[in-house]
Amino acid sequence: MILPAASLSEPPAPASPPRRAARTKIAAAPAPAPEPPMVPGWALPAAPVADAAHAAFLAGAALNSLDALVRGQPAWAGAWRQRLALRCAASACRLAGRAETEAALRDAWALRPAGVFLPLDGPPSAPGTSAVALGPAGALLAAWRLLATRAPALDAATLAAVAELLGLGRDEALEEIAQSVSAPRASRDGKPAPFSAAAAAAQVMALRPDAELLAWWLADLAMAQSLRWPRPVPLLMAQAFGPAFRVEGGRGRAARLRPGDDGFVRALNLALAEGAAEACRLAGEISRRAARLCEVTPKLRAKGAPDAVRLLLDDDAVPGTLTTKRLSRFASRRLFERLEGFGAVRELTGRTSFRLYGL
Amino acid sequence: MAGQQAEPAADGQDRARRAREAAQPHLIDTELEHLPPELRWREWMARVEAVIFAASEPVPREVLARVVGRDCNLDLIVDDIRAELAGRPYELVSVAGGWQHRTRKAYADIIRAAAGQAAAEKARPLSQTEALVLLCIAYFQPITRAELSSFFGREVSRDLIGALRSSDFIASGPRSPTPGAPYTYVTTRTFLSHFGLDTLRDLPNFEALEDAGLLSREKLLAGDIPAGLAGGEDGEG
Repeated sequence: MILPAASLSEPPAPASPPRRAARTKIAAAPAPAPEPPMVPGWALPAAPVADAAHAAFLAGAALNSLDALVRGQPAWAGAWRQRLALRCAASACRLAGRAETEAALRDAWALRPAGVFLPLDGPPSAPGTSAVALGPAGALLAAWRLLATRAPALDAATLAAVAELLGLGRDEALEEIAQSVSAPRASRDGKPAPFSAAAAAAQVMALRPDAELLAWWLADLAMAQSLRWPRPVPLLMAQAFGPAFRVEGGRGRAARLRPGDDGFVRALNLALAEGAAEACRLAGEISRRAARLCEVTPKLRAKGAPDAVRLLLDDDAVPGTLTTKRLSRFASRRLFERLEGFGAVRELTGRTSFRLYGL
Repeated sequence: MAGQQAEPAADGQDRARRAREAAQPHLIDTELEHLPPELRWREWMARVEAVIFAASEPVPREVLARVVGRDCNLDLIVDDIRAELAGRPYELVSVAGGWQHRTRKAYADIIRAAAGQAAAEKARPLSQTEALVLLCIAYFQPITRAELSSFFGREVSRDLIGALRSSDFIASGPRSPTPGAPYTYVTTRTFLSHFGLDTLRDLPNFEALEDAGLLSREKLLAGDIPAGLAGGEDGEG
C-alpha cells in the first residue's frame, strides 16, 4: 500500500526541471502562444440594441474573451496594449478638437527629444520633464501610454501627472476625484465592471464638466480595477465616436452620448462589446506577426537581436535607428531590414527615412 | 568682497536648510488642532499667502498642500485671500497650474514710468512679428520653422525663433520626420504664465475669434495683429 503512494508522489519532482527549462527558453526567445481567444459573433451587436439587459449580456460575453486574453499575459501583450493606447489617443485628439492622426502621434512619441519620459517613469534625477516637450497631442498619447503601462492604482501624483498631460487645470474637484477613485472602493464593490466604469466616468463629468478626456481615461482604469487586471487595457476612448454612443438624429453636442448622460451605461456596454471584439481581432493579428518574429529569431545573427525583438514585442513601434549596448545604429538598420525581408516586422510610416518598425 | 563671501555661505546654509526640510517634512504643525476653527482658517490663509508671496514663480497646489491641513480646501482659501486683496493694487492670479501675486493690469503704466528706461528695456515687449509667430506656434504646435515660414509665405528667421527661445516662451518639441530632422517648437509654462493662461485650453478658440470678427487669416498673413491680442502682452504689470 505504501509503495504505490510513494510512486504517485514522485512524478511531480522529475517533471519540474523540464518545465523550468522550457520557461528559461521562453525568456530567451519567446515561443509562439496559442491563438488568442476571439469574441464570438453572437456577442456583437448586429442591430441597434435598445434593451439594457441585452447590452449588458453582450458586454459580459465579450469581456469574457478579453479577460482570457489579458490573463494569458502573452509575450506580445506590450505591443498590443500600446497599439490600443495609440488608437485611444487618436480618438482623444479628435475629442480635443485636434487634427493629429495615429501616424502623427506615433511620430511625436518616437521622435521625442532625448530625455523625455513618461511622468513618474524617468530617472529620479530628471522627473517631470515630460508633458510640455511632447506638444499637446503627444501629451495625450503619453497619457494613454501611462494608462497601459502602470498597474491600475491611482494616487494623487499619478492623477496630477495625467491631468497635466490632458491639459486640465488643477483644482479641488480633481483632488476629490483622486480620493474617490483611490479610496477603498466601498461604493463600487460588487458592481459589475462596466457599471463601475460608467459610474467613475459620470462622477468625473459631474465634478469637472470640462474633463471628458479624464472621464474616459478613468473609465478604463476603473474597469481594470474591478476586473482585477494586472494592467488596464485602453479600450473605451477609442469607442467614443463609435456607433454605440451615437445618438439617432442628434446634432452638435447632442450627436453622441457623453459620460453621465441618460442611457450612457447601456451605450458603454455596447461599446465594450465592440471594443473587446476589436481588441481581440488586433490581438489575433499581432499574435500571428509575433509568431512569425519568434520563428525567424534563431536566424538572426546580430548580437543585440534579442534586445530588438524584446522591444518589438513590448512596444507599438521601434525606431529604425535604435541603438543599444550591443547594437550599433548600422547593425540595427541591417537587422530591421532583414526582419522586414522575413516578413516578421512592418515599416509603419511608409517613409524612406525616420523609419519606425513594429509588429 | 565681503558680500561675495557672504553670499555662498548664505546659499550653503539655505541649501542645507532646504535639504533638512525635505528630509523632515513633518516638522511644522499643519492640522493646528489646538486652534478654534476661525483662527485655524486665518492661519492657513496666512501661510498660503506667505508661501505664494515668497515665491518668484507660480506656486503649484502640491506645494501649498504641504503647509495646510489635510482636509483644507485650497480653492476656498485662495478665494478668501482674493476677497481680502479686493482693494489692493495687486491680486492673486491662477496661472500655469499654480498661483502667483501680480500687480493689477491698471498699474502697468505706472510701474513702467516709475522703474524708468532700464526696466522697460529688460521687459521688452514682443514685436508684432514675434507675437504673430508665437501665436502661430501656440495654436499649431508642434510646428517647425520651415512650416512657419511656409505658413507666413516668408522666411521666419532663426534670430526670431532664438529671441522667443531666449525669453523662454518656446522650447523644442519632438523632431519632425523631414530632411534634416528639424526640431519642432512647443510653448512652455513660462508662456502660459506670462499670458495669464492656466492651460493651453484657455487659448481663445481660433474659429470663435474668426466668427467674432476679431481675427482673420488674411489679416494675420498680412501682418496685422488685432488690438485685443496684442494687448494681452501687458498682462503682467
